[in-house]
Amino acid sequence: MRARISDLKRWYVIGAPFLWLLVFFLIPFFIVFKLSLSDVATAIPPYTPTFSWSKGISAFISQLDFENYTFLFSDPLYINSYLSSLKIAFFSTILTLLVAYPMAYGMARAPKSWQPTLMMLVILPFWTSFLIRIYAWIAILKPEGFLSLFLIKLGLISEPLQIMNTTTAVYIGIVYSYLPFMILPLYASLEKINPSLLEAAQDLGSQPWRAFWQVTFPLSMPGVFAGCLLVFIPAVGEFVIPDLLGGSDTLMIGKTLWTEFFNNRDWPLASAVAVLLLLVLIIPIVLFQRQQEMEREAGR
Amino acid sequence: MVVATAPSQANAASSQRAGPRTAAPQTGFAPWKNPDLSPMVRFEGITKRFDDFVAVNNVTIDIYEKEFFALLGPSGCGKSTLLRMLAGFERPTEGRIIVAGQDITDMPPYERPVNMMFQSYALFPHMTVERNIGFGLKQEGMSKDKIEERVDEAMGMLELRQFAKRKPNQLSGGQQQRVALARAIAKKPRLVLLDEPLGALDKKLRQQAQFELMRIQETTGTTFIIVTHDQEEAMTVASRIAVMEKGLLQQVATPGDIYENPKTRYIAGFIGDVNVFEGTVSKVSEGCIEIDAADGYKFKTKSSESVTVGQKVGLALRPEKIRIGREKPNSDVNVIPGKVEDIGYLGSISHYHVRTAAGERITALRANAAHTVEQSITWEDAVWLDWPVDAGVVLTG
Repeated sequence: MRARISDLKRWYVIGAPFLWLLVFFLIPFFIVFKLSLSDVATAIPPYTPTFSWSKGISAFISQLDFENYTFLFSDPLYINSYLSSLKIAFFSTILTLLVAYPMAYGMARAPKSWQPTLMMLVILPFWTSFLIRIYAWIAILKPEGFLSLFLIKLGLISEPLQIMNTTTAVYIGIVYSYLPFMILPLYASLEKINPSLLEAAQDLGSQPWRAFWQVTFPLSMPGVFAGCLLVFIPAVGEFVIPDLLGGSDTLMIGKTLWTEFFNNRDWPLASAVAVLLLLVLIIPIVLFQRQQEMEREAGR
Repeated sequence: MVVATAPSQANAASSQRAGPRTAAPQTGFAPWKNPDLSPMVRFEGITKRFDDFVAVNNVTIDIYEKEFFALLGPSGCGKSTLLRMLAGFERPTEGRIIVAGQDITDMPPYERPVNMMFQSYALFPHMTVERNIGFGLKQEGMSKDKIEERVDEAMGMLELRQFAKRKPNQLSGGQQQRVALARAIAKKPRLVLLDEPLGALDKKLRQQAQFELMRIQETTGTTFIIVTHDQEEAMTVASRIAVMEKGLLQQVATPGDIYENPKTRYIAGFIGDVNVFEGTVSKVSEGCIEIDAADGYKFKTKSSESVTVGQKVGLALRPEKIRIGREKPNSDVNVIPGKVEDIGYLGSISHYHVRTAAGERITALRANAAHTVEQSITWEDAVWLDWPVDAGVVLTG
């Protein structure tokens, strides 16, 4: 009897997050998936459902087609959007890593009493709305913005820079916005490294730079991996940054999706784009989960 | 007054009988007595300050080739700082460090002809045992075949061959310790530094590991410098011991000398068990000092210590040098009565804790040989303690 009660309690504890995921993730996903299988229509809402309770499941299956998905492959716009998103996400992840690594390294090597403050500074931007911070970048990057004015004042350039509304601006925006997601896991793994390992490397004849590549960097790989996935996964589906900072030639799947949904009002096609985006991201998400699990096991 | 326990006592005594172990193969190994030899390592007036704290205070030590030299002291006495300065991880505030005639004070750690075995072992967790041991050789740019050969040699010496492909976290503490030692000797450095190398091992393993350290030191013929807070460990392995306290060097001597002739009360108490009687010098004659102790008892001891009549001194006596009996001995010096308060029976020997009339607590040792059984001493017995004139050591510091 007691065992059953404790079983029940355990199910309750595990059940709560499952219920949360079910209500706020799995059910919406199925709604989107169902939408992606329906046909577009001029109506409110703008589609005709392929499945209705009155006709039953057999009617649904007999009518089932994947025309929205096949359409995605017939128009190169969608494929190009996906590829371009992956490319932008990939290179901005690498750029973020290059910017974040020295910062995380500096934080991990800073005196212990400074570290909470430095951590605070990394998290500080989250206190302001993400949208406002992206708008601030418009003010910096636009041709008559702070950056160009500053560089002209310094005499380094004579013409305003054309960064705004280019892919460069998108890179800047992504690197800036996702930097904390890269710094924090990197810092966590760098901070764990026993400083006597570096002393041992030097003691055995390794110069500081070589000791870094042979000891510090390999030991920080879990942080590198976690940070890269934390940046790459959301960056692929990023919409706000390419929309506000990017130009018309900046092709990203998030933007395409938005256009389908709100400008073309083609909900079924937009849903198909969303489902496919999820499929594209499943591989890195699974990788991330596995890496987290391995970390947990190694920590035991 | 009494510090350590019985096994340490037995150990200290045994090492004293055998003399310094490193010297065993070539008796009379004492390069520090040879004025023609120049030292392998020379600490020259080394001072290290961290802000206001003086970690090491004007220390000068010469260490000779093939020595197994121990830096001994409680934690915070500066012994580790001294070792880290030799490895190059800390810079002395004052003074020079000379290794094999070369001033290495300003040399970075990766250029020094010195390898260290770290207290936490500091094994690279992402590398196999093999790669850990070969790390130093790889830095030298040695060829793969040569590295393999040298790694194999080191692994053979420490019986690690079957673990070659394992990662450090798949090894036991004792195995990790051996990997750390193998890594420190793989480059065949002129000098191996050991920072509390056995601190993480349990007592039994530690004793095995001590003998292993001595074996490796002898077979490789390398100079070893060990830092330890364990006096027993220092006594067992070292050819000479430097005792440090609060950044100051107290005494440098062989284990036997330190045990038999401690210079100060601190050293007497730190190395092994000791009883110290306080008294005043009453007479100084050739080679002998007489001391008036509390309650009118007179002590006489052979000593070359320069003291003056009236000076306050301590008389240190090792427990195993004190005889304990029920009959009053036929002597009027070095005799003191007391009452047995406690007996520690340890099988081969017993510890007798005796309270004297003056209230001092004295420890005496007695071997539990068969013939002593009938006149066994028990609790609350009135007893007499006595010792020969060559047993005590006069302490002025």
